[in-house]
Amino acid sequence: MSETSSAKLELTGVSKSYSRDRKRHPVLDRLSLRVGEGEFVTLIGPSGSGKSTLFRLIGGVELPDEGSIRIDGKETTGERGHISYMPQQASLFPWLSVAANISSALTTAGIRADEAKRLASEWLGRIGLGDVAREYPHVLSGGMQQRVSFLRALLMPRAVMCLDEPFAALDALTRAEMQAWLLRLWEEERRSVLFVTHSIEEALTLSDRIYVLSRAPARILKEIRVPFSRPRREDVWKEPEFVGLKQEVLELLGEGAGASRG
Amino acid sequence: MAFDVKPYVLPSPWTIASYMGENASRLWDQMWFTLRLALKGMGLGVAIGILAALLFHLIPGVRAALSPIIIITQNIPTIALGPLLIVWFGFGLMPKLILLVLVCFFPVAWSMLAGLGQAAPHLREYLSMIGASRWEILRRLELPASLPSFFTGLKLTATYGVTAAIVAEWLGSSEGIGHYIVLKSKGYDTVGVFSAIVCIVALALAFYGAAALLERLVIRWRPSASGGKGGRSE
Repeated sequence: MSETSSAKLELTGVSKSYSRDRKRHPVLDRLSLRVGEGEFVTLIGPSGSGKSTLFRLIGGVELPDEGSIRIDGKETTGERGHISYMPQQASLFPWLSVAANISSALTTAGIRADEAKRLASEWLGRIGLGDVAREYPHVLSGGMQQRVSFLRALLMPRAVMCLDEPFAALDALTRAEMQAWLLRLWEEERRSVLFVTHSIEEALTLSDRIYVLSRAPARILKEIRVPFSRPRREDVWKEPEFVGLKQEVLELLGEGAGASRG
Repeated sequence: MAFDVKPYVLPSPWTIASYMGENASRLWDQMWFTLRLALKGMGLGVAIGILAALLFHLIPGVRAALSPIIIITQNIPTIALGPLLIVWFGFGLMPKLILLVLVCFFPVAWSMLAGLGQAAPHLREYLSMIGASRWEILRRLELPASLPSFFTGLKLTATYGVTAAIVAEWLGSSEGIGHYIVLKSKGYDTVGVFSAIVCIVALALAFYGAAALLERLVIRWRPSASGGKGGRSE
């Protein structure tokens, strides 16, 4: 028990299937993974490999068929309210100001209202969005909305942050900027993160460890420890080792994609 | 002149205006009576409409059980229902309020119910994922998301409510614009009837305007895509 105590999130043998047209469709197949304290862990896999289902299980919105989920050392299978979450769409509430979007999420996580307001305005100032704190979200660009969404997840006092393809909807340039921004902010704060992406470069640039998933039903094909040091340079992609790892992940995903490569 | 319209068939606007000037205080009293009745009925109707929407939204079984009955109440013409209500409840305020509530609660309840169910799924998913309670989902997502639909219903109610108040007074009242119309039409006083119509239109416009103003004051978060109104100036 004490050996696993440093694990902020730990999944053991988690399986999930849905039934459609009287047939069982397995989505996750005895998946086990862990996220350590202050560790940035990425899941990468082909689309339709059940990554969103995995997040719903961790969030307690759905129950696994078997296996257990532990957060911060406690059994939390099927329980809500243990994670903070950043979805693919920014999901800011259009009727709340930027600052109120953050502070109301913090009150859901149990922070007192006045403290939540103070934290929101202090941090918005710190990330250079102090000017728009009182605006409605629709005046912000897609990239700025995602910064607010990330900050909202970062400030919630929860053991694990789950980021579900947060940059998928952004254009390439904004995406690169956001990766650099997130890298800087995360390295200052060092929260435990479970990150989902389709982009191999994004995974290698940001993570400490990567789990490569197979096509549904998802299994873990390989666990890769990313060797680049922290604080990480944004141009880590120029390293020869980066290219090698990218090649490796690409091949794994290709194999996982089907039997076409005999 | 060309069509030789008799003044008792269609009086000129000037005749109506001067009649209204002469009878200003009487008309004002009648209008004030109708205004108060309409306000009471609409207030009660809107309140019941909101409660019904919340009840139906939160407990799906109630909706299935009660909505046929409610639809039926909306299909009985007010001119048939009104006399029955007077037979049952007398000539006091009660039958008039019941009639008004029956007319006013429906647009609010049904529009708001649709609004409550149409909250953006990705926001619902976000709140579930961070562990928000049912009450928080209602308060932070569903209620604000239902406001635009609620105001659509309120504006309908504002228009129907005045007409319903007139019908209620027409059927059984010794005061109000509805009663005034009955008096004047029975006396073939066309000018008097037209004056009453002007008052009714003014009342209905005022109610609608108030509802629209309230909407603009409450819903301020929508992007000013149409018309460029409400743009910020620094």
